[in-house]
Order: sequence, then structure tokens, then C-alpha cells
Amino acid sequence: MKLGTKLTLFNTLSKLVIVVLFVLLLPALIRDINTKYTDNWLRNQKDKVLKLVQGPGINNYIKNGEGYGSYNALLKEEYISMDIDSANEKIDTIGNEPRLVEGDTIQYRILSHTFKVGKQNYLLEIGKSVRTINETATPLQNIAFEILLGMVFLTILADQFYSTYVLRPLGRIIKTKLIALKFPTHTPYRKVHTSTSDFEYLDISIHKMIMTIESAFQKEREFISNASHELMTPISILQSKIENMFGSEEINDDVKERLVEMQRILNRLKSITKTLLLISQIENEQFLKEDTVEVAALIQEVYDEISIRLQEKNITCTIDVPEDWSLTRVNKFLLFNLFFNLINNAAKYNKEGGEINITGRMENKLCVVDVADTGIGISAEQLPQIFNRFKKFTRSLLQESFGLGLPIVKSIAEFHKIKIEVSSEEGIGSTFKLIFPAEIMGK
Amino acid sequence: MNVLIVEDEKALTVEMELFLTGNNYICETCFDGQSASEKIATNLYDFILIDLGLPDYEGLDLLKEAKRYNPEAACIILTARAEVTDRIKGLDLGADDYLPKPFSLLELQSRMQAIIRRKFGLKNSVVVLGEFVIDLTNRTVSHGDAVVNNITKKEFDLVAYMLLHKNRTLTRSQLSEHIWGSVVNDDYDSNYIDAHIKNIRKKLNAYGPPDWLETVRGLGYRINTNN
Repeated sequence: MKLGTKLTLFNTLSKLVIVVLFVLLLPALIRDINTKYTDNWLRNQKDKVLKLVQGPGINNYIKNGEGYGSYNALLKEEYISMDIDSANEKIDTIGNEPRLVEGDTIQYRILSHTFKVGKQNYLLEIGKSVRTINETATPLQNIAFEILLGMVFLTILADQFYSTYVLRPLGRIIKTKLIALKFPTHTPYRKVHTSTSDFEYLDISIHKMIMTIESAFQKEREFISNASHELMTPISILQSKIENMFGSEEINDDVKERLVEMQRILNRLKSITKTLLLISQIENEQFLKEDTVEVAALIQEVYDEISIRLQEKNITCTIDVPEDWSLTRVNKFLLFNLFFNLINNAAKYNKEGGEINITGRMENKLCVVDVADTGIGISAEQLPQIFNRFKKFTRSLLQESFGLGLPIVKSIAEFHKIKIEVSSEEGIGSTFKLIFPAEIMGK
Repeated sequence: MNVLIVEDEKALTVEMELFLTGNNYICETCFDGQSASEKIATNLYDFILIDLGLPDYEGLDLLKEAKRYNPEAACIILTARAEVTDRIKGLDLGADDYLPKPFSLLELQSRMQAIIRRKFGLKNSVVVLGEFVIDLTNRTVSHGDAVVNNITKKEFDLVAYMLLHKNRTLTRSQLSEHIWGSVVNDDYDSNYIDAHIKNIRKKLNAYGPPDWLETVRGLGYRINTNN
């Protein structure tokens, strides 16, 4: 998941949690505030009443032992009562209790208080109906909830806006420096503008790393290219000398046989050098892609070139590639060598009387050519390494080769953006699948 | 045939001169671009072999001079710098052929022969070998009135190459290089020359004995002609 998405998700979720918490707590909170407010009010009322009834004042309310009571006649929201208290205990409490007022049972918040005037104990009760206390709770809650929602929405918006803004350079670094990266790179360094120092550091570090990798690649390519070129001249001199000696009549056949041997070994050196040079030239993109090639004809050409090797091992080769498939903007010489090495390998590691099947087919709207053999196969642990240079496997120790056939194939395929997939089963055979990119298919 | 060899590697120049002189070419050599430039401006040659990697001179400039002062000469570029663009530039500037180092001297001679055939028209492009007639122009082998029609391209190339270097033993490496030279693959020793020769003999034997095609034990093959 992208960082931006994660941040947005987290922001929204955390705010949602806050909203839920608030909604759950709000009624209790408001009830608590209301209760406290009411209790205060009740106590104030009590103090007022107590002031009024100090001394003889009590007789204004209680006459002949009859209690005093008063309430709002219609709505019965509040009431006050005073009476002589026969039980001689001290009470000073506030609590919710029901009272029967004119036939209605109403829940009140009631302050009960006992006090003495003279020798007489009195009980004072001041009540406020619970309904009126809670009357304001719902609108209060609603308003608080609306304000909260508005704030949450605003902060989410602000967070989203800011995180998008702050993360934009990161996105640009990923898009331009990492995703589009391909070696060798030819694009010059372009600074990603950001005020975040971390991103600045990241950008410059990635750039430095790319430069390091690039220069290592460059050095390797240059080295291989220079070394191969430098080797060509001495090999050329040796080859000419051997040829001239071999052609000379003064030299007897024993020596000539050794010259033939030398020539063979020199050929081996030449072959390795030429192959390395070819790979480095491909990697340095020195080949033009200007040819148009008919796939079936090209494979037939390779087959003609290679048929003598197939005959030697009695290998049957079938080619079933649509006649109308053609490739444009490719290098014919390289593609020839790609197929040559693939088919040559299929023959080399095949068994006596084996088969090679070359099939062209469509897969996911792309042209695919399979080169399948009935050879010795490649083990699962060797499979990831078969394209590595000079990687020799037990299977190739029997053969006179130096392990550059598949690296050539790989370099040429990469140069043309052809994808290669290999599947193999030991003892049964291997299949090399070439997937051609749509842009070079000319049909 | 007058040949100018422009090559700064003396050891290689010596071998090329030795080989070409042995094949009846008259050779002059120079080891740097300056003296080559003077020679090109004053003398006339049939062939100019130019190494592109001269220390003091841009090889392609030398090629331009050769085209100006020696328009009749065939120019062959020899180079260790097998850059693809060099090859295209060289051929664009009018080089007749391009031979990347390392090359076989036999290959050099064969390229020169091919140029001669192209430029001047080879007089005897039909060669009689025993009971067979080889037509190098039409690339056919015939026996009496019958044409040996199942000879493949590769097989004919082999016969033609041996014929060009007739009475000379060619090693399997030399033959291999000629017919597989443009293929880059990782077999350093697989030699299918024997298989090819076997096939050629089998096909020709159906018509008559190809006794002119000799296997030289331990060394290679040769085509013997009487003349």
C-alpha cells in the first residue's frame, strides 16, 4: 500500500474512533454536568429557605403542625415542602426519587435536609423534575455532535491536503528515479524539489547510488570491450604466423600436426574473445535496429546452418511458426545468433535420436516462440544461473563449450526487449519460451 | 597485382606480406598513416589494405584519400575495433570489404579474389576437377550432362574455398572459420567439417569418384588439381 493511502486511512480511522468515543461519552457527560448544576441550584435554594425560616419565620409556613408544600401548579417542574420531622436523625442528601403530586407520579431530583428551629426538628425537601433537568441534554448533544463532525471533516481534509503536498516529492522520486530506472541510464540528474530534508537526502542518495552502479557497469563494459579489442591484434598475429608456417613446405608433418593443435586452441581463445566483444557491443547498444525479419524464414535459415549438427545426432526438428509473422526494427544478425544459440543448445544437450520442436503461437495477444527439446534438462537449482557468463554446469563439462551461449541469447533478447522464460525437467527436456513485445511485431 | 598494406603491427604486416607475396601479389608496406598517405598519393595500387587503428592517422581519412588518388584500387578495411558504426562508415566511404581482426590469411585472399572476380570478371570461373565441372559463377557442380543438384550452400562454399586455395592443405579450423565465421556461438571445438566432407563425398560418389578431394591425415583436407 502506498504511504499516502496509509496515512489517509490512518487519519480517517483515528478520527472515526474519536467521533465514536465522543458520541458514546457525550450523554453521560451532559447528564453529569446537568446534575451538578441542578444540585448546586438545589443547595442555593436550600440556603435561601433556611435564611427565611430562621427564628420565628418558620411559623409563617408551618402552622398547627401542618406541613408546607408548594409547586408549580401546572407543570409540576419544581416543588418545595417543609414538615415537622418526628424521627430525630440528621439528613442532608440529594437523590432521585419519585413523588406523587396530584395523582401524577413524577421523578424528581430531591434535596432532603433536616434542621432545627427551637426544639423542633423539621425536614425540608426541594425537588426539581428530572424531565426538566434533562430537557436541554438532547439539543446540547446534537449541537456538540454537529460541531464535532464538522471539525473532524475539516481536519481530515486538511490532513489529506497537507500529506499529499508533503509526500509529492517522494512520489516523484519513486516515479522518476526508481520505477523508470533502466541500465545503462542516459537521463541526466534532475533534482526533485522538496523542502523536506529527508526527501532531499533520499533523492541525492538514490542519485549517488545510481551513479555508482552506472559507473561500475560502464567500467565493466569498457573493460571487456577494451580487453577484447586489445586481444584481437595479438591473436591475429599468432593466427597469421601459424597459417604461414603451416603453409610452408619446409616444415614436416609432425610439426604441422602440432600447428593444427595450436590453431585449434587459438580458435578457442578467439571464440571467447569474439563472444565477449559481441556481448559488450550489445550492452553498449552499438547495434542498429533497422531490419525487418520474417520469423519463419529466419528460423529456417538457422536450421539450414545447423542441420549438419542435427544430422550427426539424428535429431528431428519441426518448425511450426506462422509464415506471416515478421519483426520490425530489429537487428537480423543478432536475432540469427539468438536462434542459432538456442537451437544449437537444444541440439547439443539432446539425446541421440531426440527431438526439437519450434512452435509459434499467440499468448495473451503476444507472439510467443517455444524452442523445446527432449534433452537432458536443467535442474531446478541450476535454472536461475544458466544465463550467467562462464557458468559451467556438469552437463556442459561433457561438451566443448565455455558457457557463453545463453548469455549471448540473454543479451540479444534484452536488447530487443524479448522476454525469455525457461522451464525444464531433468531427463525430459527444456523449453525456452521467447515472448516478443508487441512493438516489434510487424504483422 | 600491387598491394599496399597499411598496418602498424609490424609482426602482422610481415606475415601478410609473406603470405601475399607467396600468392604472387607484389606488396608494399607502411607502418604509419603519414607514409601511407604519401604512397597513396604517388603510386597506383590494385589493393589497399588499411588498418583503421593507426596511431597517427584517422584510418577513414586514409580511405578517403585512397578513393581520391587511387580510384581504381580495391580497399579492404582491417580492424581490431570491430565497432558496428565503423563498419558502416567504412563501407559508406567506398571500402570494398571489411575484415575484422583476427582474420585468417586465407580469408583475406579469398575476399581479394572475390573482389577481383567482381571488378574484373574472373576468366575461368568454370573449373574441371576429375570427372566433375565446378561452376563458381552459377554455383553448380556437374558431372557430364548431369547437375549434382542436392549440394547444399554450405557444401558448395566449402568446395569453392578449397578450390580457391587448391593444392594446399586447409585445416578444419580454417574451413570452419570460413563457413561459420559470422556465427557467434560458444562451441570452441565442435567441428562439423568432417560431416560436411562426408556428405559431399557421398553425393558426388553417386556420379563418379571425387578423388581430387583428399583427406590429409591429422592435418585437414585439400583439393588437388593437375595444373
